[in-house]
Amino acid sequence: MPGTVRYRVEHETRYAYDAPVSQSWQRARLTPRSLPWQKLLVHAIDIDPRPDERHDGPDAFGNTVTHFGLHGAHRRLRVHMHCEVEVGARPLIVEAPQSWESVRQVLRQGSAPIDLEPARMVEPTVLLPLSEAARHYAAPSLARGRDWLAAVSELMHRIHDEFEFEPGATTVSTSVDEVLHQKSGVCQDFAHLMLACLRGHGLAARYVSGYLLTEPPPGQPRLMGVDASHAWVAAWSPQYGWVEFDPTNDQLADQRYITLAWGADFADVVPLRGVILGGGTQVMDVAVSVMPV
Amino acid sequence: MLKSLLAGYAAQPGRYDELLASPHAPRPHWDAFLRALAARGASGVGDTLSLMEREVRENGITYNVYADPQGMDRPWEVDPLPLLLSAQEWQAIEEGVTQRAELLNRVLADIYGPQELLKSGAVPPAVVFGHSGYLSPAQGIRPPGGRHLFHYAADLARSPDGRWWVVSDRTQAPSGAGYALENRLVVSRVFPQMFRELRVQHLASFFAALRESLLRWAPRGGPGDGTPLVALLTPGPFNETYFEHALLARYLGVALVEGSDLTVRDGCVWMKTVEGLKRVHALLRRQDDDYCDPLELRSDSALGVAGLTECARRGTILIANSLGSGVLESGALLGYLPSLSEQLLGEPLKLPSVATWWLGEPAAFDDAWKRLDKVLIKPLERSSKEPAVFGADLDADARTLLKARVAARPQRYVAQEWVHVSQAPVLERSGASGREALGARTVGLRVFAVATPDGYRLMPGGLTRVAGDGEPRVIAMQRGGRSKDTWVLSDAPVNAAFSLLSSTVTPADLVSSRANLPSRTAENLFWFGRYGERADAAMRLLRVAIEAQLDEGEIEGGTAALALCAKLGLIDEDDDPALALLRAATHPEGALAERLRQLSRVAFNLRDRMSADHWRTINQLIGDPVFQHDAASAAMRLPLALSWLDRAVTSMVTLSGFVLDGMTRGTGWRFLSMGRRIERLWNLAAALQTATREGRDQGLDWLLQWADSSVTYRSRYLVAPEWLPVLDLLVRDELVPRSLAFQVKGLAEYVAKLEVTHGRFASDVVAPGQAALAALTGADLRPESEALAAVLDQLQRVAGGVSDELTLKFFSHAASRSVLSLVA
Repeated sequence: MPGTVRYRVEHETRYAYDAPVSQSWQRARLTPRSLPWQKLLVHAIDIDPRPDERHDGPDAFGNTVTHFGLHGAHRRLRVHMHCEVEVGARPLIVEAPQSWESVRQVLRQGSAPIDLEPARMVEPTVLLPLSEAARHYAAPSLARGRDWLAAVSELMHRIHDEFEFEPGATTVSTSVDEVLHQKSGVCQDFAHLMLACLRGHGLAARYVSGYLLTEPPPGQPRLMGVDASHAWVAAWSPQYGWVEFDPTNDQLADQRYITLAWGADFADVVPLRGVILGGGTQVMDVAVSVMPV
Repeated sequence: MLKSLLAGYAAQPGRYDELLASPHAPRPHWDAFLRALAARGASGVGDTLSLMEREVRENGITYNVYADPQGMDRPWEVDPLPLLLSAQEWQAIEEGVTQRAELLNRVLADIYGPQELLKSGAVPPAVVFGHSGYLSPAQGIRPPGGRHLFHYAADLARSPDGRWWVVSDRTQAPSGAGYALENRLVVSRVFPQMFRELRVQHLASFFAALRESLLRWAPRGGPGDGTPLVALLTPGPFNETYFEHALLARYLGVALVEGSDLTVRDGCVWMKTVEGLKRVHALLRRQDDDYCDPLELRSDSALGVAGLTECARRGTILIANSLGSGVLESGALLGYLPSLSEQLLGEPLKLPSVATWWLGEPAAFDDAWKRLDKVLIKPLERSSKEPAVFGADLDADARTLLKARVAARPQRYVAQEWVHVSQAPVLERSGASGREALGARTVGLRVFAVATPDGYRLMPGGLTRVAGDGEPRVIAMQRGGRSKDTWVLSDAPVNAAFSLLSSTVTPADLVSSRANLPSRTAENLFWFGRYGERADAAMRLLRVAIEAQLDEGEIEGGTAALALCAKLGLIDEDDDPALALLRAATHPEGALAERLRQLSRVAFNLRDRMSADHWRTINQLIGDPVFQHDAASAAMRLPLALSWLDRAVTSMVTLSGFVLDGMTRGTGWRFLSMGRRIERLWNLAAALQTATREGRDQGLDWLLQWADSSVTYRSRYLVAPEWLPVLDLLVRDELVPRSLAFQVKGLAEYVAKLEVTHGRFASDVVAPGQAALAALTGADLRPESEALAAVLDQLQRVAGGVSDELTLKFFSHAASRSVLSLVA
C-alpha cells in the first residue's frame, strides 16, 4: 500500500446521569500519537460543560493525557475529539530470521544498555495476570526453534480463525481465560489474549489502541472493529523493533491503522477514565467516525 | 528468686540467646534488670503481668486480624519484659539501617527517574517491572526534597553468631512505630524505676523529627496557602492497624483523614471541613499505594483520593512515602544491594540482608534446589496468598510439586536462607504451677527511620516481635504473635522526659486543629453525643424500673416506667417484666449492651480525638463482667443488675465530665453538645408523654428519679411529687439541665452561633418550638392539658428536624459515595 493517507477522525463520548454529579475528575487519552509514519495535523478536544480545570501532559508510555475536572453540579458530559491525521507506510520488514527463543533470551538477559520499552512489556499486569491457559494455547505456535515472525504471525492467524468476533459477548472486565473458554469476543479481547500468550512465553508485546476507516474504499471489505476505537498488538524483536499484529483482522497494521495510544493493557489506554461523585445511574454513548480527507 | 525465675529458661544450642551469655550467666547488660525483677518476688512478678494486661485492655490497644472471626479489636499482646540492647550494639544497627535507608532512597529515585540502574542491568528490569509495587503512573514524579523514601522500617533478626541481618524492608507505609510507642508507654509504667535507672533512650525525639521533616518538606506556595496542614491518611477503622493510625495522628498533632475527607482541585489536595475546603500540604499515608487514587491507580479502590497522583506529579503535596515505593519490598532486590551500595554510595553495605536469591536467575534457581534443606521458598510479592515454604519440611513428592510450581514462573519467587533466629525471655504463666516464669521465644526486631535534612534518623528503640507458640520460625502479628518494648540502653544520661504531647503543641496548633474539623469527624461527634445520651437514658430508666420491681410500693409509677421502657425499645411489652428488664440490662445481646456498642463504635471512629482516660472509661463499660455472667434466676440477678446500673451511670457521669471539663469549646464541641441536647429533648418529651398518658394515675417518683431531678424537687418543695411543680420543673425551668426548656434554649444558642459563620439552616425549626414552649401557662401544667400534649409532640419534631438540617448542611458531602466509571 503506497503513499500516505489523510484522515479526519471524530470521537465523541456522551454521558447522561439520572442524578446530578457534584464532582467529576477525568483523564482522556484522545490525542493520536505523533510517530515517524503518523503526523497529527489538526486536533481539538471539546468538553461540555466547560471544565473548571484542564491540563495536558504525557503519561509513562508517552501518550498525551488530558486531565480535567468539573466541580459544579451537572447531569451530562460530552467529550468530543476531532483531528486530522496523515498516516504513511510503517518501516519495511526486511526478513531476518531469528528463533523466538533467542528473542526471549535477549529480553531475559540483555546486555547494557538494555532497551526498557520492551522489558516492561513482558510482565503480567493487574488486568492481564499470568494465564496458564493462554500459555498452553500459544505453545503450538511457539514451536522449538521457530522463526519469531513466523511464530507470532501464526499465533495471530489462529486467534483470528478459532475465535468468533461477537460484539456484546464480553465486557471490559472479561478475563483472558473466559475468552479462551467461550472462543468469542471483540478486538480488545483478542489483543489481550495475544498479549497473554506472548508474555506467558517471555516475549514482549504491547496493547495499541486506535482507529480504522469507517467505510472502506470501493471494492474492499469492511473491516471488523470500525464502529468504535480499535485495538491491536505490537510485538517486539531486536531485529524488527515493534511489529504491529491485528488478530481481529488477521493482518499487519498499515496505512489504514491510526495509532491513538499504547500501554501494557487496555487500562493504560482507556480513552476516557473518570471518577464522579453522585450521578446515580448513567447512560454512556460513544460514536466514532473515520473518513478519508 | 533469680534462680527460680530462670529455672524454666534455657538457652538453645545453635541459636543466639538475648539473655544468657552461657547457660547460667546473664549477659552483663541484662544484669541490673534481672535483679530488679527478681526483687519483686513471686507475687510482684505475677502482679506485673496482670497490670500489663489491664493497661492494654483499658487503653484499648488493638490489632485487627482479617482472618479471625473475632478479629476486630483483638487486644494487642505485649510482653512486660523489654528487649534490652546495649549502646555499642545499637550503634552498629543505627549505622547499618540509616545507610540502607539512604541506599534504598537512591534506588527508588533512579527507578522512578532516569532508570540508569535498569538500563545498565545493575538491577534486572524484570525485578522492577515484574513487581506489583512498580506503578507506571508514578514514573517521573519528583517528590519534595527528593525524598521518595520519607520513612522506612526494617525487620531485623539475629543469627547464632550474634550478627544482625535484615530480613525484609518496609518501604511504602511502614507500620509499627505507633505500637512501639504504645508499648513504651505501657511498659515504662510497669517498670518506672528500672526505666530511669537503666537510662533507656527516649522515643519522643524520633516523632518530633518525623513531624519536623513533614513540615519542612511540605511544599508551600499556590492556592489556599497558610500554615502547612499535615494529615494522616488511613483506610479507616477496619484496617488492622487503625489503632496505631489514631494514636499517631493524636501524638503528632495531625489530622486523621480517610480518602472521602479529601478532594482534589486545581492540582492540590484539600480537606473537607465544616469550615469549607482547606489545602493539605503533606500526607502521611497508611494506605497501600495502589489504593491511593482510583483515577490513575486501582479503579476499584473506594478508599483513595481521585487525582492524588496528578497532585504528586505537579509537586503540590508531600506524600510519605511517595507513590510506588512499595516496589522496594520485592525480595528479589535484596541480592543486588551489596553491589548497589558500592556503586551508589561507594562503601560496602554495613548491615547485610539475609541471603536471598531471585529465582528468575537460572543459576540461582538450580542452586536453590540443591540446598533446599537450608532455604525457604517464598513468593516475592508480600501480598501473595502463597505462604513461605521451608524446604526442610517437605518430603520428596512435595518437593517435586513445589519445583514444578516455581519453575513455571521462577521470576515470581525467591529462595531465602533460613536463619536460626535468636530467642529472648517472655514472662508467662506456666501451665502446671500457674506461677509466672520466664519462657524462651523467637524474636525479631522492627526498627524505624525517618529522613531529616541531616540524613536518616533512627528511632532509638523499636518493635520487638515475638513468634507465636505454634510456629517458632514465623514472626507475624497477623498470625497472632506478641510484641515487646525495646530498650536501648545508654552510657550517657538521657534527655529527660520529653513528650511531644506536652512540649510542642502551641496555641497556634490548637487554633488550627479547631478550624480544621473534618465533616466526617463533626458527624461522629454529633452521634457520639446522641448515642451517649441514649445509653445514659436507657440505663437510668432500667434502674428505675428494676427498683420498682424489687421494692413493690416503695417507688410509685413502676407501670409507667415499664411503658416507657417499651416505648424506647428496651423491652417487649408482652414479656414478663422482671425477665425482660434483666435481659435488657445485662444480656450481651440486650438493649443496653447494644446501645453501649453503638456508642463504642462511634467512639472508635473518634479515637484520635479522645483522651486515653475517656477511651478507657468506654472500654470498662463495654467490658463489664456483668455481660459475662451465666443466666441465673431473675430474683437473684435483679439486685446484681442494679449494682451494675449504678456503676454504669457513674461511668456515664464520668464520661460527660470529660466532655464538659476536657474538651475545648470549638466547633466540634458544639456538634457533640447539639447531639446530646437533641437526644435528651426527644427522650424527655417521650417520657412526659408516657407520664401524662399511661402514668396519669400513678406517682411521679419514677419520673423525677429517671430525670435525675429528685434532689432539686425536694429542695424546693417539701411535699410529695405533684403534677404542677414536677411539670414546671421538667418542662419550663430553663435552669434545670434536664428540662425541656433547657434543651431547647441550648439548641437555639448553638444553632445561632453556627449560623453566624455558616448561614441560616435550623433557626426556623427551633424558634417556633421555643415560642410554643414559652406560651404554656401554669394552667397548662397538668396531665390532661391538650396544649401540653401538642407542645410535647412539637418538640419531638424539633429534635428530629434540627438533626435532619444539621445532616444536610454539614454532613452530606461526607456521606456521598463516589461512583467509578471505567469505560471504553
